[in-house]
Amino acid sequence: MSYWSAPWKMGGILLLAYVIIRGFGTPLQPGLVEANPNRLTPGLAELELKAVGQPFAEENASIEGHQLILKSGQDLIATNLTRISPHSVEANAVIPDLLPSPALDAFLFTPASGTLFLGNAFFVEGAGTGPVPQAFAATPPDKVNPDLGFSFPYQPNIIESIRNLLWHVPMWFAMFFVMGIGFVASLMQLRTDKVDWDHRAEAAVRTGLVFGILGLATGSLWARWTWGAWWVSDPQLNGALVTVLLYTGYMLLRAAMGEDERVGRITAVYNVFAFVMLVILLMVLPRYTESLHPGKDGNPGFNSYDLDNSLRAVFYPAVIGWGALCYWMYNMRLRMNRLEYRLLTQ
Amino acid sequence: MNLPMNHILFLNSLEGFFFGSGKAHVVTGVSLIILAGIAFSLWRMDRRLTQLENENNDTPS
Repeated sequence: MSYWSAPWKMGGILLLAYVIIRGFGTPLQPGLVEANPNRLTPGLAELELKAVGQPFAEENASIEGHQLILKSGQDLIATNLTRISPHSVEANAVIPDLLPSPALDAFLFTPASGTLFLGNAFFVEGAGTGPVPQAFAATPPDKVNPDLGFSFPYQPNIIESIRNLLWHVPMWFAMFFVMGIGFVASLMQLRTDKVDWDHRAEAAVRTGLVFGILGLATGSLWARWTWGAWWVSDPQLNGALVTVLLYTGYMLLRAAMGEDERVGRITAVYNVFAFVMLVILLMVLPRYTESLHPGKDGNPGFNSYDLDNSLRAVFYPAVIGWGALCYWMYNMRLRMNRLEYRLLTQ
Repeated sequence: MNLPMNHILFLNSLEGFFFGSGKAHVVTGVSLIILAGIAFSLWRMDRRLTQLENENNDTPS
């Protein structure tokens, strides 16, 4: 086999190399991650906000141009910034006795990094309910749109683990792709009863299972970081696990039937059933239930929050690269099946 | 829930855990080596398979 005779194989590997270099080498946009103390009482308060992504230049940088504003309901509260270090800002604020809402969001306006936001950064105990008095009100500065260069979007909770998007999601796409090939092959097997379609279906399911297990493993790692648990009882996650188990059942059925001449037709029927279940469990059911999983809860597609242009520039090559690798593995397994069959029937 | 993770992020005061500590380069390097290993083993397997197919086609049945 020469790479020149199959450029898509080489292309797939090169795309994955690009994804690894870009995926791990691209910095994250700055964002606020933590507020201290997160419980306040009316009166003078000393606040500290921590950030990732180096948004505040050097140690003891000038606070000029920076502004921290707290938001309660629709009302804005001014603060007095006192110190900036590369990863944190400190401020004094007078918390009024009356607030529309006890939960305060923090907006930090910076000249270099734009507006950083932390929802429910502080919670005020002991304040009455009412509009913020005029003396405490703040006016936000003009919006700036700094050039942050090629960087991945900052998402609360996900933070650096957003890079896993380039592994986890394309692996599932690759699994869908080959399982789709297997589904068509099984339908053709039932229609024509030709053994080559059975070879295709077996190769597709075997390859798809590898990617399904990798998708589960990368998803579980991601869940540990963002949700704090290796596994949560969620319709999307459970559906993915059931799908992988269903296809494991396909392989067990094949193994159990051995050389039985009906193996092709019986496993083809099972495979059609398994693919229909895959579509129901991963694409239909999560639309009707609430799910922690992003892109679910009514719309399984990505939205502007999930992907921005810099992430798209790496995500789409990742989809093609993983797809090519998956198809290469499927293709080799199919050729092995054909060769084995030819040797056994000679 | 995320507080222990945030603590890790702040270990390096300049650029955060992933970049400032140089771990991004290590992860990139290790991942590239693994990818090269997978690509090489697939390529070898593919070549052997082609040889077997050719031999099998030459053998009269």
